[in-house]
Amino acid sequence: MKKLLLLLLLAVTPALADMTPAEDLPQDSRVKISVANPDRNVGFTVGDILERTVTLEVKKPYQLVKTSLPIVGYERRWKNQPTGIVLSRIGVDETSGGDTNRYVITLAYQIFTNNVVAKPATLPGEVIKFSAEGKQFDYRVPSWNFRISPIATYGQVIVEKDMSPFRGPFLMDDSRHQLALKACLAVFALSLVGLLYVLGVNTWLPRMGGPFAKAYRELRKLPADDEGLKKAVVRVHEALNKTAGSTVFNATGLLESKPGFLPVTAGLDQFFKLSRHVFFEPTAPHGLDQAPMAWLRQFCLACRNCERGMK
Amino acid sequence: MADNQLADWREHALELETEINKVVVGQQRPVRLITTAIFARGHVLLEGDVGVGKTTLLRAFTRGIGGGYERIEGTIDLMPNDLVYHTYLGEDGRPHVDAGPLLRCGENLAVFFFNEINRARPQVHSLLLRVMAERTLSAFNKEHHFPHMLVFADRNQVEKEETFEIPSAARDRFMMEIPIAVPQDAEIMESLMFNTRFHNADKLVEGVKPDVLHFDQLNHMAVVLQDHIQASPTLRRYALDLWLAIKAPHQFGIKVEGIDTSRLVLAGASPRGMSMMLRAARVNAWLNGREAILPEDIHAVFHETIAHRLVFSPVYEMRRTEIARELLTNTIAAVAAP
Repeated sequence: MKKLLLLLLLAVTPALADMTPAEDLPQDSRVKISVANPDRNVGFTVGDILERTVTLEVKKPYQLVKTSLPIVGYERRWKNQPTGIVLSRIGVDETSGGDTNRYVITLAYQIFTNNVVAKPATLPGEVIKFSAEGKQFDYRVPSWNFRISPIATYGQVIVEKDMSPFRGPFLMDDSRHQLALKACLAVFALSLVGLLYVLGVNTWLPRMGGPFAKAYRELRKLPADDEGLKKAVVRVHEALNKTAGSTVFNATGLLESKPGFLPVTAGLDQFFKLSRHVFFEPTAPHGLDQAPMAWLRQFCLACRNCERGMK
Repeated sequence: MADNQLADWREHALELETEINKVVVGQQRPVRLITTAIFARGHVLLEGDVGVGKTTLLRAFTRGIGGGYERIEGTIDLMPNDLVYHTYLGEDGRPHVDAGPLLRCGENLAVFFFNEINRARPQVHSLLLRVMAERTLSAFNKEHHFPHMLVFADRNQVEKEETFEIPSAARDRFMMEIPIAVPQDAEIMESLMFNTRFHNADKLVEGVKPDVLHFDQLNHMAVVLQDHIQASPTLRRYALDLWLAIKAPHQFGIKVEGIDTSRLVLAGASPRGMSMMLRAARVNAWLNGREAILPEDIHAVFHETIAHRLVFSPVYEMRRTEIARELLTNTIAAVAAP
């Protein structure tokens, strides 16, 4: 349960660190303040610069007394010891609108201290003055706590006893496993590509591998002589048989099992006439008024369209 | 010349079919198959229940083609000599010998109908098979010839008691086995019951125009026809593939539901059977006005010319009719042409 609470605290702390909660800010009816702090409150070490932005909206006629702003290079002391937090830069952006004056003060502090273990530190709360018509009042910008981390671990660290909530658990080195996983994934992806290539010869698009689609591609390459015509008729017969799932001898044989070919019924009858002429009875008329090969290609194309559900 | 002759005979053949279909209704396919067998000069085994019109059908055909018609009933005590002669004591008190059904019409015998052939003994089958194969018979110190004879035998597949199964060698002599079934058309069935025209078979047969064909010219016509109708190399290859597929169906990927096809067929069709199938296919092509055989012509006679020749493993013999039908149907579906 404690661990759970700790994890919850760790999870929400960085999110809350960037803005000081409104209830922690000093209440004054004349001033409206918002403070944007660094997005984390741990992990800083010597030399780091922390920036916080303080936005103040003060009711007119009050104005910021510029001389009350902290001085760059000034280092605070705590119990007569320097804190090691030095203001390294300050910027003020002033705008006026409606009944308020708005000041955006950017404060950059640099860390000049370190320790062998994590050390609490504070960005100091600055006191700023506002004045108007001879009247003046102080307004205190809240301080902000954080931790300064050591540069190197001092002495032997027993992990079990060092349960600092500011440091997550030590992680095992999984780089080798990650590399192996990536290599396996790469091999798997290559295998899939290879398999797709093997299975998808000439069939990269959906329905490209249908019997009539294949037959049509072959028919386009066949010559228009007698031998080519015989091969073409055989090829269309094969496509018909494959489509119907058994040997087809007439249009009915196909249409009973594949009614999608109804639009080419007349073509089927004509094809069987042509087949009869080519293979069984040369004296029987094939009834075509154009070159048989050209007609056969058109017929095969029409069948391919039926196969694809385009007619 | 032959073309004109064939066209003329084709008209007569179709006229004969029309005449027969007038008196034997609802049997168009058997009529076409018997016409085919007549022109292919092949004997026919008829299969069907009693009273479906087999005898009427044959008598009608005999009237249409002319020539003699003889009939004998197969019984368990029928002996071979009963087909050749019979003896009796005449009014003069002396023994007489008369010609039996085979000899009665002499050379003019056109149709010999053997009713219930499977009730006759194997000795009778043996005699009949010789007559069927050679169309000759030695009797009374003389060789008798029956050049125009076609044998039509009938067997009842349902009743098995006191019957002798026809051996495969005998079945192979028949060109076709044609099933004769009761017509399925309700109107025809009703007509067969109520139309008195069908109640008198003799009168019904007289309604067939006589001598539409000339029985004594059929042999010559058959030769002309077989020479004239061509079979292309593709068709020859297709017929050969069918033959091979029947012999070893498993090698062609042919399946029959619930049966291991690699163990089904003990013997496929014989060379005689395949040649008879092609003869019948040629006639079918001719009847359909073609000059060459198409795969459809083979299909039209495939079951009837092949099924009865197949020899199955004994375990499947009891179901041979349905298995043979499925096997042959699947064979046609599996073998491509071209």
